Amino acid sequence: MKWLIFAWKNVMRNRRRSLTAMLITALGTAAVLGSGGFALFTYQSLEEMTARDTGHVVVAHARGFDGDEDVPLQHGLADSTALAAKFAALPGVRAVAPRMQFSGLISNGDKSAVFVGNGVVPDIDFRLRGPQMNFIAGQAPAGNAPQPEVVIGNELAHLMKARVGSSLTLLSTTTEGNLNAVDVLVSGIASVGVPEIDKRLVLADLVSVQKLLLSDKVGTLSIYLKATADTELVAARVREMQSGLAVKTWRDLAVFYQAVRELYNRIFGILGAIMIVIVLFAMSNTLGMAVVERTREIGTLRAIGTLPAEIVRNFVLEGMVIGGAGALLGMVLAGTATVFLLFAGIEMPPPPGRSAGYPLLLSFSPPLYGAVAVVVIVLAACAAWLVSARAARKPVTEALAHV
Amino acid sequence: MNPGPRTLRLDGLRKSYRVGEASVEALKGVSLDVCRGEMVALTGPSGSGKSTLLNLCGLIDAPDAGNRELCGTAINGLDETRLTGLRREKVGFIFQGFNLVPVMTVFDNVEYPLMLLGVPPAQRREQVATALQRVGLEALARRLPDALSGGQRQRVAIARALIKSPALVIADEPTANLDSTTARQIVDLLHELAHERNASVVVATHDERMSSHCDRVLHLIDGELQ
Repeated sequence: MKWLIFAWKNVMRNRRRSLTAMLITALGTAAVLGSGGFALFTYQSLEEMTARDTGHVVVAHARGFDGDEDVPLQHGLADSTALAAKFAALPGVRAVAPRMQFSGLISNGDKSAVFVGNGVVPDIDFRLRGPQMNFIAGQAPAGNAPQPEVVIGNELAHLMKARVGSSLTLLSTTTEGNLNAVDVLVSGIASVGVPEIDKRLVLADLVSVQKLLLSDKVGTLSIYLKATADTELVAARVREMQSGLAVKTWRDLAVFYQAVRELYNRIFGILGAIMIVIVLFAMSNTLGMAVVERTREIGTLRAIGTLPAEIVRNFVLEGMVIGGAGALLGMVLAGTATVFLLFAGIEMPPPPGRSAGYPLLLSFSPPLYGAVAVVVIVLAACAAWLVSARAARKPVTEALAHV
Repeated sequence: MNPGPRTLRLDGLRKSYRVGEASVEALKGVSLDVCRGEMVALTGPSGSGKSTLLNLCGLIDAPDAGNRELCGTAINGLDETRLTGLRREKVGFIFQGFNLVPVMTVFDNVEYPLMLLGVPPAQRREQVATALQRVGLEALARRLPDALSGGQRQRVAIARALIKSPALVIADEPTANLDSTTARQIVDLLHELAHERNASVVVATHDERMSSHCDRVLHLIDGELQ
């Protein structure tokens, strides 16, 4: 404790210089925590977005993910109701959503366009998608409506000049390879935030799609969990239960998430490295000057029996005091920014390929704060060690003669 | 005075320095024994080798040739850690410029050598209080060195050097920066305390008042004891 008090007193010897180093360290820490918090928020948002889109665990026919079918639903899942019931009984499972992907042409009588659709159970699916599905007009299709209902993407609605209540025709290939058509009513117009998807999006009641495709199979079963952290556990359990089926997690299917994560890891990794160098330089500079100024004092302490390692330890403690105070201040700054952004409502512009922006928020992660603080303190200690080790080993007479 | 057991033994010490291309021989085979409780004054003109000899006595420099012994321990061949350990336990230093640590209070400066020796805090407090009382600075224990006069600072330095009851005290011109009244007080104090603790003192000085208090006065001229 006494050594720490001496370290603090030595730090306070040249307040302005120590304060400058402390502020640089604090800003570096805050920058790393801010960017790290932003990256974490992005990862969490993308994670949620992907999981809400695909489900946490997706089960398909053994060749269901190949995309190599001669006719629609060639590799579909039969007896999906029983399977869904089995999966729904697993611990941690929130719901199981059967889905069937289909494609074809959509027409308003005057004009046709290609669509990529999904047959879903509206009661389950739209609830699970949550804010992922932004309704611009109307609502989800009713499962028991006299005429099949669909939700279409806003870009497709624009193309088809369709509104809620408009009648459209879906034309698709059946499981037998023939063409079939069904008239549908537009119950809602929605956007998933990606114009390219909104231009083709059709979400229809699963039963209607099965009728259109002349099949009782489904394409996949999307298992939604109560906690994303349980994904691997549940996936393993499903694999055990149904070894003949293909099981993928949201992570396997989230190409965009992985790409963004890789990109951000690199960007923020480089930023972190730059911050490390800045902190290292600031600390080395401050402590280096202190070492030079106190060379004579080092000589005195060495003469009266202080070991070089003890001299270095004293400087390391000083470095840790500056680094610790800087890290603490940086954490306060980053924490304040996190809270401020929570209430400020600042929007980020839409990312490339997307039509909607997203809120600028920073995630508060205690492990991140702890890790950054430890790294900063260790860096400060290393800088102190680097600059003081040589001076501590200087011959005592030389140190005492230093002017 | 009856000489006690030998504290320091120097035998044929040689030391030279390089100044540019030339080599200057600072000590030319100096031999010296200092007994326990003995106070030895080292006098001589500037450049005579006093400081070099003092550094060798205090184990903060190494000779080119010759042998040294401190309290029966042969110094030659000891590594830096052992030398530091010997200084920590057995050698006290008093510098001309006081060399107190400016961020430490008077109390902390005097306490420091005991911290190095691992003396428990309660015992340290007691010893430091006694030492400060002995040098008449108990009321200034919480002051920083900058708030003290030259004489007071040198008293602190004396207390710091003697707190661990060293076998040997090395004093380099301890009165050089002081006015005559203060210098007189410092000389008396050092003499009194060193004798009280039975410490051997080697003091480099130009000051007559200092050398007159010493048991032996040695003149060093051109690196040789006269």
